Order: sequence, then C-alpha cells, then structure tokens
Amino acid sequence: MVAVGLAYLLMSGLSKLLQTPTPDATQGETTAPTPPAATPAVPKIKATLFFASEDGLRLTPVEREVPLADGPVAQARAIVESQLAAEPPASLARTIPAGVTLRGLFVSQSNEVFVDLDPAIKTGHAGGSLQELLTVYTIVNALLTNLPTLQQVQILIDGREADTLAGHVDLRRPLRKNEGLIQSTNATPPVTLPPPSPQ
Amino acid sequence: MRRVGLAGLVVVIVALGLVVRPVAQGTSLTILSREGRKPLAVTSINNQDYVAVDDINTLFGTSSREDRQAGGLTIAARARSVVLSENQNIVSVSGRLVSLPAPPVRRDNRWFVPVDFLPRALSLAVETRIDLRRPARLLIVGDLRVPRVVARVDAGPSNVTVTFEVTPNTESRVVSQQGRLLLQFEADALDLAIPALPPQTFLSGLTSGETGASVLLTMGPRYATHRLSNSQADAGSGRVTIDLLPAATELTAAAPAATPGPPQPDTRPMLAPQGPSTGVRTVVLDPGHGGDELGAQGAKGTLEKDITLSVAKRLRTLIESRLGLKVYLTRDDDRTMSLDDRSAFANSHQADVFLSIHANSAVRPALKGAEVYYLTVERADAEARKRADDDATVLPALGGGSRTINLILWETAQARYLEQSSALAGFVERALSTRVGMSPRAVQQAPFRVLVGANMPAALVEIGYLSNVDQETQLGSAEYQDLVAQALMDALVKFREFLEP
Repeated sequence: MVAVGLAYLLMSGLSKLLQTPTPDATQGETTAPTPPAATPAVPKIKATLFFASEDGLRLTPVEREVPLADGPVAQARAIVESQLAAEPPASLARTIPAGVTLRGLFVSQSNEVFVDLDPAIKTGHAGGSLQELLTVYTIVNALLTNLPTLQQVQILIDGREADTLAGHVDLRRPLRKNEGLIQSTNATPPVTLPPPSPQ
Repeated sequence: MRRVGLAGLVVVIVALGLVVRPVAQGTSLTILSREGRKPLAVTSINNQDYVAVDDINTLFGTSSREDRQAGGLTIAARARSVVLSENQNIVSVSGRLVSLPAPPVRRDNRWFVPVDFLPRALSLAVETRIDLRRPARLLIVGDLRVPRVVARVDAGPSNVTVTFEVTPNTESRVVSQQGRLLLQFEADALDLAIPALPPQTFLSGLTSGETGASVLLTMGPRYATHRLSNSQADAGSGRVTIDLLPAATELTAAAPAATPGPPQPDTRPMLAPQGPSTGVRTVVLDPGHGGDELGAQGAKGTLEKDITLSVAKRLRTLIESRLGLKVYLTRDDDRTMSLDDRSAFANSHQADVFLSIHANSAVRPALKGAEVYYLTVERADAEARKRADDDATVLPALGGGSRTINLILWETAQARYLEQSSALAGFVERALSTRVGMSPRAVQQAPFRVLVGANMPAALVEIGYLSNVDQETQLGSAEYQDLVAQALMDALVKFREFLEP
C-alpha cells in the first residue's frame, strides 16, 4: 500500500519535472504571429485593431500597420500600444479613453496575457455597461485576434488586479475573445464569424 | 472449502433480502425466479465468469452426458439439447448455433461454461426467458418484472430527499407504518442499488423490504412527515421522490405544493394581490452604483446611481403591495458598495431572484432602449461547478452529530442557475419591450461581476441610455420609472409562473 503511494508520488513528481520544459517549447512556437510586411526601413505588420461601430453597439475591426516586434510578448506589447494610441477612421469611434498607457505586459506559461494599464483607463471612463464591454473587449480581442496562440487576457490596473473598470465587467479572471461583439465587415475578410444580428 | 464459504455468504445476503454490490468478481450470482432466490456459484477462469454444468443441472432440472471420445458434452432439457465441445466457443442448441464469449472448460472432471451460456443457449433449450443483470449479479429466470431501482439520498439543512430512479417505469405506492415507510412496487422483485446514507437524522435505514419488491425506509428522530411525488424521468424510466420533512411551521407554507390545484387562470397580475409562493418568496433588488461610484452620467447631469435607486424603490413598493413577496434592496440610500457585497447580500437574504438595475451609456448619442444581461460562464467554470457539486462537506452540527452541506465556490455560484437566469432575462426582455422599448441588443450575456457570486437566478437590467438626450429626460421622470418598475414586476410574475407551473 505504502509502496504504491510512494510509486504514485514519484510518478506524479516525475511527470511534473518532465512537463516543465514544455512552456519554453510552446513559446518557441508562438514566434510566428503574422507574416512581416516587406517594408525595409521600419518593419511593420498588418494587425486588426478595434473601434466602436457606427451604431455604437459593436466593435468594428480595422486593419492597421503596427511595428514588427521580436517574439510574441514584444509583439503583444506593440499591438496593445498601437490600439491604445490608434485614432479611429471618421465613421467609427474610440472605445478607450485617450491618453491611457501600457504599464506592462506578461504572458504566462499557459498563454494567458496580463495587460497592466495605467489608472486613466478607469478614471477617464464614461461608464455604462456597453461602453465598458467595448473597452475591455477592444483590448482582449485585439490581442487574441492577432496572436492566436494566446488564450486569454486579464486586465490589471496600476499593477493590481481590479474588480471592474466601471462597475460591471469582471476583471478578476482572464477573459476569452468575444466574437459576439465584433461586427463583420467586408474590409477585413478573415477576422471572425459574423455576429448574430439581433434586429 | 471455498465454495462452502461463498455459499454461506450468499445465504446471508439472501436472508437480508438485499442484492449488495459491488460484489467481488467470481463469487456468485443470485437466481431470481417464481420460486424465490437461489445462489449460483461462479468460478473465475481466465478472467471470465464460469458456472459449473452440474450446478446448472441441479437448478434447471437438465441432465448432461459426456462424450469423452469426441471431447464433447450434451445437456438435455425436456425437448431440446445443447451440444458443447471443449475449447469451442460455439455451441449448438438443437442444431442452432450460438456463440459464447469464451469456450467451455473441462476441469477436475467437471464442465464449466461462461455465465453468458445461460441467457444465450440454456434459455433456448429450457424455453424460458433468462435475463442476466451483470452489475447486480442477478440472473432472472422466467417472465418476472424486476425493475432496476437506483436510490439516492440528498441531505439538506432542513429535509432529506430520497429519490428512486425506476427502470422500466413501474407503479408504486407508499405505506406508512410506525416510524417506517414502505415503498412497494408492482413487481416481482427489485434490482436495487442503495447508497451509503449521508450523515443526517431524518433517515436511519434504507433497505430492501421483506416482500422483495419493496424498499423500507426507517425514520430517524427528526422525521415528522413526508411528501411524495412521482414523475417520468426520461423515456421508459420513472422517478419517485420522497421528501422527509421535520415537524416545523415551514411545512404549512409548503403544504399546498403537495396537492397541485387547478392551473392558474390567465392572471392579470396588476389587479389583485397574489399570495406567497414556494418558488419565489424573496426578491433582492440591486440599485447599481452609489456613493463615490456615480455610474454613467447624462449630458444634463443625471446620475445613474440616483435613477437606479429610485426605480428600485418604486419596484419594491409594487412587489410588496401587489405580490406580497419579501423585497430587500442592497442599498437603500446613496452609498458606495462593492459588487461582491451586493451578491453576498442577496445570498445571505436567501433571495429567490436577484435583479441588478442599471442605466447605460454609449459613444453614439442616438442609441437608446433597454437591455437585459445574464452571466456568461466559461467552460472551465462550469467544470469547477460540477466538481463543487460532487464535494459535499460534512460539518459538525450544533448539539452534536454532523450535517452534510454542499460548499459552492463563490466564483461559480451563478453557473448552476444559468438556465433559470436565461429564462428570467427572457421574461424581463418581453415585459420591458411592451412598456418601454428595447435597444437593438435586447438580451445579452456578459461576464458581469455582480452576477458571478449570486446563488440564485439573476439578471442585470439596463433600463435606458443616459447618453441619449431624450432618454435622459425620460429616465429622470416618475412616469418612465413607474413604467420600468411595472415591466419588471410583470417579468417577476411570469418568472414565478415559470418556476411553479
């Protein structure tokens, strides 16, 4: 009986030891985000960023150039920074208060992204559950649409876990991509499934 | 020597009238027939259950004759005979070939056949139905009605529920004797599975009844009365539920549920007060935001936190006066309150429904209308919930003993109510659309923090857009607030009917 227990402990310990190298391996695989565009001076890649749709109800994907970065973590950082700074085309609107900066970004071994934003994302927010949903899922969807190896995104505010941005969306746990909020457009073909139209 | 011991064990089991399982492989089968129960010894050969042919002869009145030269055996019944060959897993029943999972074995001058020989070959020879119920280690001989009955005992804080799944569905009745309940089935015997009793003081014993087709419930000290219900579980199966209840005043309120009255007529809920019901008795309303958290703001300065509080108070008055339900507000004044405290408030007040009331804001000023949300739950959460459901925890109880409680992870409390929450959201949407109009996103799911920990059906209502100038004016008016309150009460009435049809 004891021997069996010992053997089991040994086995599980061993399997844990054997598992540890895998994150490195997966990180190696993630270094293939979107193919680089052939601009010689400042290498750029095309990425999908999000803005509030014309009716204000959804997120509209828009293709923009973002700097090519070395490795998935740096690329994720470049995408979030581009999204935070991006000005929308005339018909669309910002979902993120202007002037919000990225404090830090980490990727866990299970491909969860932690995005640490400065408190302006909270203090500058107009409130309302719809606006809050659009703000949160702009960041989540921008990361998970462009870097498909990433699984989930958790937003931190000022280096700490936050309950919510404006009193609604649960930020205590990582969030998955929200396809339902994305508006399908003809401009960016392969983005997502068309959202179910409530009309 | 070994066989004698096993036979002894079987005799004890039969004397108890129980088919106990799981029984170790290779012990014995119980033969159930019109004549009663008899044991049949089983021998394990090459990991297969075998029975001895001479035992079969004794039990079924057959005879066997060995042909040593051909390496075969003939078992003769009244009209037909079965021919077996050593190491051949096909036997012939009066010329008809029947395959077996393993060949017959000859050992120590005795012949052994796999257990499946009985239902597959012998039943043809003796022209009698033989049904092998392997999990129960039962062999049913003849046209006996032996439904499978699986019992389950769920201990709650103030009651114990005993559920019997019956396959195929079989008529039953409950006879009350002093301190005991006898559940009798219209059957010849039961293929009965009884779990270990959880710690509680309503039920002290759950055993097979003496007649063989009944189950005996022996009551504990806390038992005072019971409530019985029968239902169709699914195709072919039935379910008998016996609620064991204490002698308490709460029973008088619950009593009407035992005798279902005529279906409620199409009630216009606005007209008359309605009595309290078992499904929805307590409602917790949550006026969104408050204190330092202003929520959304209109261009003319209307604050979400003020509108939500005002609507919640109007709704409370309506529900209390028209429906007679208990209503609690998470906040009664302008104060800051965390989201977790709000759902905790609903949990500690044992609310049957939780409604969080909000007003919205959009980047587009044209957008207006109401919306209703219920929680999105990720698959991982649903799995965690399932695990939590499996883990009942036994805690010491006041005054000695212990009781079993189900610990629910805070983070997954709402997951178990999603279906009801979705129905609630549907009723809210229908009611609001007739009175105030919806936005193009009428019913949505979202990971809203205030809903996560709510241990009851829950929804979040956005009653309009403060970012729309006209709607800001509306939201601040008593007329619009009353319309919203009326609509939400209509929805609660519908939801209550949904819970207790």
